[in-house]
Amino acid sequence: MLVLTRKINESIRIGDDITVRVLEIKGSQVRLGIEAPEYVKIYRDELYRKVVKENLKASRIDFVTFEKLKKVFRKK
Amino acid sequence: MIEVRTARFGVLKVPEDNIVYFPEGLLGFSRLKKYVLLDYKDTYVKLLQSLDDPDITFGVINVFEIEPSYEFKIPESVLRLLELKRIKDAEVLVILRVEGEKIFVNFQIPLVINPINRKGVQIIVENASVKVYNMH
Repeated sequence: MLVLTRKINESIRIGDDITVRVLEIKGSQVRLGIEAPEYVKIYRDELYRKVVKENLKASRIDFVTFEKLKKVFRKK
Repeated sequence: MIEVRTARFGVLKVPEDNIVYFPEGLLGFSRLKKYVLLDYKDTYVKLLQSLDDPDITFGVINVFEIEPSYEFKIPESVLRLLELKRIKDAEVLVILRVEGEKIFVNFQIPLVINPINRKGVQIIVENASVKVYNMH
């Protein structure tokens, strides 16, 4: 892992078009400002990990389970 | 019609119009971009099967069949990617997961699809959650 030390209002640049700036430090919290092109998706890591895990868990539905769901959501 | 090989649903014969293209894949599945979405006459549940991996199959449902008041924001960039003018024109699906007698409906990571060009994106809705329903 690359480790850099920055002061408030200093930034780092990732590639040509992403900058991450340290805006504020309060106790154990750091506020970051991120500038990136809109195709770059930015999430809090714990949220991203959580939703990926949920996607994974749901990604191998089997025939019997699916038939059950079909019945539960039957059109009346 | 195309033939789709699946790990647990045999070989499915599906009209080509049912292909949905996710330019970014789904979250955690960025390499799988092509899926087929199967509708059924007698149920609101749909099958979302990867065309790139026979093992990847989701059970999904139109969010408004479960939660008519579901609201969410969609970034402008996603609308542009899908070539959608308004969010109202999108088909919004949520993923279902079953554990025992419980159904987990994931309102946090809906699939937003443009029914015209069949492009889709999975987005994260931060203030939404997974809700649990009883099977009976």
